[in-house]
Amino acid sequence: MNIVQPMLSFLAKRFIQSIVLIFIVLTITFFLLHLAPGDPMARYYDPDISPETVAMIKAKLGLDRPLMEQYVRWMASFVSGDFGMSLQYHRPVSELLAEAIPNTLRLTIAALFLHIVIGIILGILSAAKRYSLFDRINTVSALFLYSIPSFWLALMLILLFSLKLGILPSSHMQSIDVEGLGGFDLFIDRLRHLVLPAFVLGVASAASTARYMRGSMLDVLREDYIRTARAKGLAERDVFMKHAFKNAALPIVTIIGLSLPFLLGGAVVVEQIFSWPGMGRLAVDAIYSRDYPVILAVNFVVALMVILGNLLADVSYALIDPRITVTGQKRMG
Amino acid sequence: MMTADTKRQGDARSMWAAGFSRFRRNPLGMTGAVILLFLYLVAILAPALTPYDPNAHGDIPRMRYMHPSLSHPLGTDKFGRDVLTRVLYGSRISLSISLIAVAISVLLGSVVGAVSGYFGGWVDIVIMRIVDALMSIPRLFLLLTCVALFGNSVALIIALLGVTSWMATARLVRGQVLSLRSQDFIKASEALGAGGRLIIFKHLIPNTLTVILVAATLRIGGIILTEAALSFLGIGVPPPIPSWGKMVFEGRDVLLSAWWVSTFPGLAIVLTVVAYNLLGDALKDAFDPRQFV
Repeated sequence: MNIVQPMLSFLAKRFIQSIVLIFIVLTITFFLLHLAPGDPMARYYDPDISPETVAMIKAKLGLDRPLMEQYVRWMASFVSGDFGMSLQYHRPVSELLAEAIPNTLRLTIAALFLHIVIGIILGILSAAKRYSLFDRINTVSALFLYSIPSFWLALMLILLFSLKLGILPSSHMQSIDVEGLGGFDLFIDRLRHLVLPAFVLGVASAASTARYMRGSMLDVLREDYIRTARAKGLAERDVFMKHAFKNAALPIVTIIGLSLPFLLGGAVVVEQIFSWPGMGRLAVDAIYSRDYPVILAVNFVVALMVILGNLLADVSYALIDPRITVTGQKRMG
Repeated sequence: MMTADTKRQGDARSMWAAGFSRFRRNPLGMTGAVILLFLYLVAILAPALTPYDPNAHGDIPRMRYMHPSLSHPLGTDKFGRDVLTRVLYGSRISLSISLIAVAISVLLGSVVGAVSGYFGGWVDIVIMRIVDALMSIPRLFLLLTCVALFGNSVALIIALLGVTSWMATARLVRGQVLSLRSQDFIKASEALGAGGRLIIFKHLIPNTLTVILVAATLRIGGIILTEAALSFLGIGVPPPIPSWGKMVFEGRDVLLSAWWVSTFPGLAIVLTVVAYNLLGDALKDAFDPRQFV
């Protein structure tokens, strides 16, 4: 009872906060659209179209209504998943999104996995061999990886692994002649296509996670129970992995939440380079053809993913960290 | 009141002096500073450093995609233009755009953060929720939307880069202001009848300047990368302006036969961003590291 009650109210509070955020994102998007110069009806101002027809189209699109009414309608349709028609493809935007979202998720989750695994391993090794040559190399390479433009890194890796060595494909999600392949071969083929884009997307955040992990480990190693563990005569390896790592790794959950906007934003560039048919690619293509409904919907869905991801991260952090009370405050000691 | 204020200013001066003397002892930070000094000199002196025009097309069949040589140390591109010349001129674009954009971003962030922290209450709640909402839209998506809606002239790109990156600074400054506003000199000012605007601009923002300076330095690398990414995607500054991001893009289809077209502008971006990050990290360590955990 004592534990369940505050946990429920914490969940409810975070949930309501997320709804409010989604609402604000929609409002911002709506007003951005209306702040923009240019008339949405401009494409219909043609001598061949009579003013009556234009007025009819305008009424049909609801553009003759007061701004507040348009705003409410826009909210209602977005919340119900109706994002209108793509001007470029003449298909419902929700259909385009349904095709793109799983592809972006596949890429982002693979990148997230690489980011966390590489980040944790390098961070722990750095903390274990603090101030060694390895640690210094790690610190310096983290700085560089953080400063490399992803599109350039992608091109350099394509040049090396696809063009020079010919061991990894340079674009698309799978080979063209994939039809005859069995389940396992298809899986390997897709995995090979995933390696370069996921690495490019994940490596910059891996570098910063490694630095964070190193700091987190060093903090934990200073605590009393580690001294106790050492005093008991535990092997250094056990102290590290069984005692320190468990606690130092907890903030990783938060890092996953915080890195979502960077990974999804990075996907814009990575998808473009590797011809990966995800949401970033959809958005960039939509820009070239001024396909506003698509751009706005992608924006909304991406923000939704970030908000829900953060909600999930916060909730799981509260659930797994015994030191955290649900009010979000850490108990001392 | 007067004494409190002068004492405060005295503290501020010694804080700056102590910070900079700590900074000077940091070899990595000094390396960053020297690289940046060099880059800015290159940007200013670009026309004196190269005999070529960055935009004039060369004699195309003969001059295009020439390997690096003595007369063209970094080779030539599709139009027979000297890559080194374009990289040198490109530094003007990257450095100036990022500098103005970061100024806009930091100014906006400081004012919003100070207003939010000083007035508190509903103002604070509303502003901070808007900040949260804007931060949940990945910056590149937000920028794509704005570019699609508003266009991509140089001035607009600069403004959009600034307007889409002020949120983290606002959070930082708000936190600083929250801790400052309970201090005596602010209360004294209020007691003497100073209004919110005066207090924010005369007391709160000047007293968070070190934090703002460090935030700006750490932010600028990200802005350079974002500007380059926009140019690479073809929606950054319009041609024929030599932007590093666009130069990397132009070499994309000839990676194997003319690797130098993409490689060197990319290295220039890396060098610049590394230098800013070295400088930012060192400034962060020199001026109270606890503020930026």
